[in-house]
Amino acid sequence: MKARHALVAVAGIAILGLALQGCSGGSTPTASGSSAAVDGKGKSIDVMVAANTLYPTQQKQWFQDVSDRFEKTTGATVKFETYASANDELTKIQTSVISGQGPDIYNLGTTFTPTANATGAFVTLTDADWDKLGGRDKFLPATLGISGPDKKHEVGIPFASRPFVMAYNTELLKAAGIDKPATTWDELTAQSKKLTSGDTYGMALAYADSFDPWKFIWAMSIQAGNPILDGKKARVDDPTTLKAYETYFNWLTKDKVVDRQAIGWKNAQAVAAFAAGKAAYLPMTTSTSKISLDSSVVAGKYAYALMPTVPPGEKSLPKGGKAASSILSGDNMVIAKYSKNQDLAFALMKQLTSASAQEEYNRLFGDLPTNASAAKKLEDGNEQLVPIIDSSSKSVGTPFSGAWGDTQLALVNVVVQSIPSLSNGSISESEIKSKLASAQSTVQASLDKAK
Amino acid sequence: MTTTTPASVTRAAPQADGRPLGSTPTGGRPARRRGRSPNERNRPFWMLAPGGILMILVIVVPLILAIVISLLDLDQYTLRSWLQAPFIGLQNFIEALTRSTLLRSIGISVSFAAIAAVVTLPIGVAAAIATQNKFVGRGLVRSIFLIPYVLPAFVVGTVWRTMLQPGGVVDDALASFGIHTGLWLNGPQSFWALILVQIWSSWPFFYLLVLAGLQAVDHEVHEAAAIDGALWWTKLRYVIFPYLRGPIALAVIISFLHNINGFTLPFVLFGVPAPQDVDVLPVLTYITSF
Repeated sequence: MKARHALVAVAGIAILGLALQGCSGGSTPTASGSSAAVDGKGKSIDVMVAANTLYPTQQKQWFQDVSDRFEKTTGATVKFETYASANDELTKIQTSVISGQGPDIYNLGTTFTPTANATGAFVTLTDADWDKLGGRDKFLPATLGISGPDKKHEVGIPFASRPFVMAYNTELLKAAGIDKPATTWDELTAQSKKLTSGDTYGMALAYADSFDPWKFIWAMSIQAGNPILDGKKARVDDPTTLKAYETYFNWLTKDKVVDRQAIGWKNAQAVAAFAAGKAAYLPMTTSTSKISLDSSVVAGKYAYALMPTVPPGEKSLPKGGKAASSILSGDNMVIAKYSKNQDLAFALMKQLTSASAQEEYNRLFGDLPTNASAAKKLEDGNEQLVPIIDSSSKSVGTPFSGAWGDTQLALVNVVVQSIPSLSNGSISESEIKSKLASAQSTVQASLDKAK
Repeated sequence: MTTTTPASVTRAAPQADGRPLGSTPTGGRPARRRGRSPNERNRPFWMLAPGGILMILVIVVPLILAIVISLLDLDQYTLRSWLQAPFIGLQNFIEALTRSTLLRSIGISVSFAAIAAVVTLPIGVAAAIATQNKFVGRGLVRSIFLIPYVLPAFVVGTVWRTMLQPGGVVDDALASFGIHTGLWLNGPQSFWALILVQIWSSWPFFYLLVLAGLQAVDHEVHEAAAIDGALWWTKLRYVIFPYLRGPIALAVIISFLHNINGFTLPFVLFGVPAPQDVDVLPVLTYITSF
C-alpha cells in the first residue's frame, strides 16, 4: 500500500512538473532589425482582425487582395483570422503568449489597446521600427494618441479611425428656426427643448446601451478638465463628473427632450428613432450610421456635425479643459513579440498604412484613414465627411491604463443602477453621489491593481 | 483501506486473550485482514492505472493548480507568469467577500434557481399528465410543448427583452386592462422577469422527465386501480406519484443546477453591467474576470 501511495505521488509530481514546464516554456522570438527588402518566399503571416459584420463579403475580398499584393512584393502570403468580440481576442492573445505561437499581428479597438497592452505581448515601437513603417509622421497626429502610455512606449500602429459625431435632422432644425447645430452642451439642451413637440423629440439617446453612456460622461468630464483617470488617482466622484451625469439624466427627467422609453433603448433603437424622423439630434454616432440613415425616411435630410466641446454650465472651454469632440476611436494594429516574422509583419503594416491602401479601405468599409495624406485627399473630395474628419483630428484618447475597461464598466453601471429612479421621474443629487462614490472605489481598486 | 478503529480494537482483543487470530471476536463482526478473502487476493490493481492517471490529470492536477492559483496575487494580465506571482494567502477570498457583491449574487442566484425550479415542477407534471391519455392531436400538442425548450436561450432572451421593454407589447397588453407596471428589465421587478422567462423556457424539461416516468407505469397498475374503484386524485396520489418520485427528484436537482449556472438568459435579457437585482453569479463572474 505504501509503495502504491508513493508511486501515485511520484507520478503526480512528475505530471505536475511537466505541466509547469509547459506553462513557463516558450521559445524566444527572433528580433531582427535589418531594413533591406524583406524576402518572405514560401512564408506566411498570420493576422487577427475583428469580423466585419456589416460588410462580410467585402472583407473576404479585401483579405484576398491584401494577400495577393503582399505576395507580389515579398513573396509571402497573408492569412487572416477573425474574432467576434474583444473578450475572444484577449483569450487568444493570452493563449498565444503562453504557447509562444499564434497570430503575428492583431487588430485592436482603440479603447481596448491599453487592456491588451497590459498583457505585455506586443513589440514596443522604436524609431527604427517606425522607419520600417514609412515614418511616424505619415500618420494623423491625433490617431497616435492611444498607441501607448507615452511616446517612448508605443505599441499600436494606427490603422483606421471612426470618430464620434452627431447627426441632425436639417428639416426639423430649419422648422424650429435654428440655423446651425449646437456647439456647447447647454446650447444643445436649449435647442432640444425647442425641437421637442408631440412625439418628436430633441434627441435620441440610448440609456440602456452598454457603451453609449460612458462616452457622454467622459466627454463632458474631460472638457471640464477631468480625465477620469488622473495618473494613479481615480476621479469618478469629481464635481465635473457629477455635473455630467446630472446633465445626461436631466435630458430625460427635467428637460424632457428625450422619449421616455429611451430608458430601455440600446444604440440601434436610438438610431432607428432618428431614422424615423422622431428626433432632431442623434448625438454620439459614427459614420457607420450613414448606411442605415441613407435608406431611411430622413435620407437627404440630415447632416453630421461635431459634438459639443464646451462642458455643461460653461460658455467657453474652462481652464484645463480639453476640447475633445470624441474619444479616439478606431483600430490599432500591434505586432506580437513572439512572432518569428517580425520583419514581414512590419512590411505588411507598411503596405496597409500606405495612402493608397488606406483610401481603398475607406472606400470599402467607410472607416476613415489614419494616413495623413489619404485623410487630406478624402476631406477635399467629400463635403459630408468634413465634420467627421474634423472630429478625427479633435479626438482625445481615453486614459492609457489597463484599468480603463473596468472604469468604462463602472461609468455605465452608474446609469444602469439609476434607471429605476429615472423611470419614476427623478433622481436626487444625493443618490447620484452615492452611486459615484461606489463607482469611485471600484475604479480606484482596479487602478491600484493595474500594472 | 478497510481498517477502521473498531476493527483494530476487535483484532487486538483476541490476541490478549491468547486466542488465535482471525477467530470470531466478541463484537460479532468477523475480523478480516486486508487481502485475506480469496476474491480479494492478487487483484491486478495496476490495471486501474490508465483510469487513475487520467483522473489525476483531468481532476486532481487542475484542482490542485486552481487551489494554488487562488492563493496567488494574479490577474488576467499576469496569468502567464504565475510561477513568479507572490503568495498572498487568503487575500483573494477576503477581497471577494468584502469588496465585491459576491454574497449578494449568490443569494440572488440561489433564490432565483430555487423559485424557478419549484414553480416549473407542477407545470411540467400537469402538462405530462394532461397529455398522458390518448386524444386526437396528442402528438402535435406534445411537440408544441417542447418548443420553449428547444429554442436557444439567446433567442428566448432577445424575444423577451423586446417584449418586456418600456412601451413593449407586455406593457401595452397590461395597460389595456388598466394595469400599469413599472420597468421589467431594471429595478426590483427585473428579478421576477428573469424568473418568469426562465420558467417559460424550462418547464418542458420537467414535462419531458415526468412523461418518461409516466410511460414506465405498467398498464396493469392503471387497470388494478380502476378495478379497485380509485378516483382520479386517489389514483394520482397513491398510485402514479410514487412512480414519479425518482424522475421528479432528478429533474429538480438538474433544473436547480442548470438555473444556477445559466449565463446566456440573464446576459441577453439585461446586458452588462447587470441591474443589481439580477446580478446573478455567472454574470458577476463574467464582469469580474474581464
